[in-house]
Amino acid sequence: MTARQPDPTICPRIPFEDHFRLSHDDLQRALGIAQSSGGRFAEVFLEYRAYSFVLMEEDIIKETAESISLGMGIRVVSGEKTGFGYTNDLAFDKIRRAALSAAAIAASPTTVKVVDLKAVPVARDVYRVREGLHRAPLEKKIGLVKEAYAACQKSSRAVKKVKAALQDSIQYVMIANSDGLLVTDARPLVKLTCLAIAEKGRLREYGFSGGGGRVGLEYFASALTPRRIGTEAAREALNLLEARPAPAGEMPVVLSPGHAGVLIHEAVGHLLEADFNRKKTSVFWDKFGRKIGSDLITIYDDPTIPAFRGSYNIDDEGTLPRKTLLIEKGVIKGLLQDRLSAGLMKMPLTGHARRQDYSDIPLPRMANTYIEKGESDPAGIIRSVKKGFYADKFQGGQVEDSGKFTFSVSSGFLIEDGKLTAPVKQATLIGSNVDILNKIEMVGHDLTFGLQTGTCSKEGQDVPVTDGCPTLKISKMTVGGLG
Amino acid sequence: MKPTAGRDDLLALAESLVRFGRVCGADEIEVGVGDGTEFSVDVRLGEIENLVEAGSRSMGLRIIKDKKTAFASSSDLDEETLKRLIRNAVQRAELSSRDEFSGLPTLSKRSVDSAALSIYDPEIERLDSKTKIGLALETERIALADKRITNSHGASFVTNDGTAVLASSNGFLGRFQKSYCSLSVGLQAGATDDMVEDFWFSSQSHFEALERPEQIARTAVERTVRQLKPRKIKTQKVPVIFEPMMTSGLLGFLFSCVAGTAIYQKSSFLVGKLGRRIATDAITVVDDGRMPGKLGTSPFDSEGVPSRRTVVVQKGILKNYLCNTYAARKLKLRSTGNADGGGVGPNNFYLEPGPHAPSDIIRSCEKGLVLIRTLGHGQNPVNGDISQGAFGLWIEKGEIAYPVSEITISGNLGELLKNVEMVGSDLEFRGSICGPTIKVAEMMIAGT
Repeated sequence: MTARQPDPTICPRIPFEDHFRLSHDDLQRALGIAQSSGGRFAEVFLEYRAYSFVLMEEDIIKETAESISLGMGIRVVSGEKTGFGYTNDLAFDKIRRAALSAAAIAASPTTVKVVDLKAVPVARDVYRVREGLHRAPLEKKIGLVKEAYAACQKSSRAVKKVKAALQDSIQYVMIANSDGLLVTDARPLVKLTCLAIAEKGRLREYGFSGGGGRVGLEYFASALTPRRIGTEAAREALNLLEARPAPAGEMPVVLSPGHAGVLIHEAVGHLLEADFNRKKTSVFWDKFGRKIGSDLITIYDDPTIPAFRGSYNIDDEGTLPRKTLLIEKGVIKGLLQDRLSAGLMKMPLTGHARRQDYSDIPLPRMANTYIEKGESDPAGIIRSVKKGFYADKFQGGQVEDSGKFTFSVSSGFLIEDGKLTAPVKQATLIGSNVDILNKIEMVGHDLTFGLQTGTCSKEGQDVPVTDGCPTLKISKMTVGGLG
Repeated sequence: MKPTAGRDDLLALAESLVRFGRVCGADEIEVGVGDGTEFSVDVRLGEIENLVEAGSRSMGLRIIKDKKTAFASSSDLDEETLKRLIRNAVQRAELSSRDEFSGLPTLSKRSVDSAALSIYDPEIERLDSKTKIGLALETERIALADKRITNSHGASFVTNDGTAVLASSNGFLGRFQKSYCSLSVGLQAGATDDMVEDFWFSSQSHFEALERPEQIARTAVERTVRQLKPRKIKTQKVPVIFEPMMTSGLLGFLFSCVAGTAIYQKSSFLVGKLGRRIATDAITVVDDGRMPGKLGTSPFDSEGVPSRRTVVVQKGILKNYLCNTYAARKLKLRSTGNADGGGVGPNNFYLEPGPHAPSDIIRSCEKGLVLIRTLGHGQNPVNGDISQGAFGLWIEKGEIAYPVSEITISGNLGELLKNVEMVGSDLEFRGSICGPTIKVAEMMIAGT
């Protein structure tokens, strides 16, 4: 075995070796130990993440924080079984211990030949960074936070409290596996958020806005200014002060474009993650190739949309991701795959294996999920409803494998005689996915993506995601407001 | 200060970092170091699915210079990395604003004996892999033996064991060891298109206190199959009975509303309500960090403030907010030993049990809903509004008639607390936030 020099073509600007202090030889040895009990597939995931945080509240820069996350996860897969060990101490004796923990899952004394690692350059770059925040001076970051804060506060006297925060990170990953793959990625991520609390008499409401993605400082000068984030948060809080309780009961529901993508994330996306289908726990497992929803519905997950929060150059198993068709005209066409499920189901990889960090086992996950635009005029969709509910802003949702899902609406409007009338607040929408997908009657031509602030949780692991959808009309859905 | 130092050296590492921080110009510095091991096994359909074994360390610190604050943390305990983080933090602090409320707590004369708290069980570390895997396999096997169960999400056995060390420039130096174990199983019943699901678990700091596989499996089966063949119901207002797990969820929401950080930020509907009635007489809520053997127990919080017992709501009157040092100073109160990282967290936060057997509470309802599960996160601390997806059991004439699903419950925590009619006797400590069965006079249920 010869010692290998890092290939400068991989990512010449990134000092991977500096962060990890490990040679390719070390990685190869670690893989060898991981396979010492006969495991068929072994993988090393190395991560170095530097994170920075600035918080402003009560008119002062209250705190800043810096965080370093360094570690290695070692995985061995043997059939349906996974052995996993991790360490944040990269001394080789600790790596050996983690590799042996992972190796223990396989229990045959067969010798497995370790293939020589071959560095694969990643040609694609979906990140859009001219001036990386991880290199920016803290003063500049503080400047962004102050701008959002001031804009929010100045919006109205009714705004009583503001909180603005900037989070940015750079995550260097290096993935090596027993097939000989060796790839790296350097993933930037930024999020600027603002929270406003407004009061009127005894009423108190909050509004939220934010943005970012896999972008640099320049994004906040053009694409989305801190000022807009601040004023938008204030506007939402102020609007809620004028809102009355949402209605309760079954009625036609129109979902606003963009934010309502969370419906597709919950109702469809999760249950098309391959693991739930392989294990037959998802309501969709026996419906592949079958029509489960309205003709109007086509759904994709695309991890390659430039600058988006959910995007990446390689997934957390080193697979090149691709735009994946999940549902075409109501028919299930694809699943979100990782290596384990794709291998067992004999289906192609899609590049959707993700993990929160080095201490987690990768799982099939969503990246940027959206409903393809339709043909209806959004105003026409609203006009078509005699009496119903327009869901405007969303907070998030949850789904279980049976397909029952909810999502929370923070604000919306009543629809009366085809017009948006009274503003209303706080309602939960609940439904069963197959039922609701069949009740989608109209799809707008206004595909929009939600805020670049979303995070998805699965089995305790959080990853950044984006959702999108055009204006949608659902013929009937249960709205849970105060009445 | 070697990264490979043993556990006994954690104190020395933390102390040396405090000294280094002072040398770099920090007025005050606090350093926490954690060292833990993790074991987890997931089994499904009788086979191991995942087997994880690992050890890891972490460091977190806070620096105050000229009343300006900076935080840092790292999973890399390399000496150079840690020194760089401290130097950076001192520099960054200069760019924060001066805040007269900032700073470490003054050193308490009181201390809590960690050995008396009984939060570390050496037996957990001694369990061999075969025993641990066997517990998960056994739990799932018993559950799957029930013919009504059609699929399994799998069973898991998890153990954690960790040492936490804290050193501060105010002179505090403390260390404790804590263990944790849990056994759980998730199940499905019914055909794919009429599927229902649920899970059950036990988690404890001591292995011998953990529920046995039989008990966990039977409870998980019962909780799953009781939801089979649900009906839809009309939109209406009815009494709602919260099962203990649901009461715990409600208490978690209450916690976020009595947290001192939410109070000074005015992001709670309980701002300005100290000393006022916020609930019926039947409601007494306590936060107690010193209950022996409980999951929320520890000798001191993340700032080194000794743990204590704090009555939050006494017979319906709001008595205390739960504070870290910063929130306490902002509110002119005293820390209640609830510091958790940069914020405020619960110790053992619970609703005291009442006199009623859960079966009597159900019998007291002519018509109503037993809330058994919620879906979604519709809780707004700013105004107390609640709106969540729900699963329940419908009550007719004091008896459970049938399961219901695809409904939502909505209400307001402030009003709900004033409408608690009965509190059950069935308090069990399954986590750090817990409560018994309660009955709420009326809530809005949205259905068809």
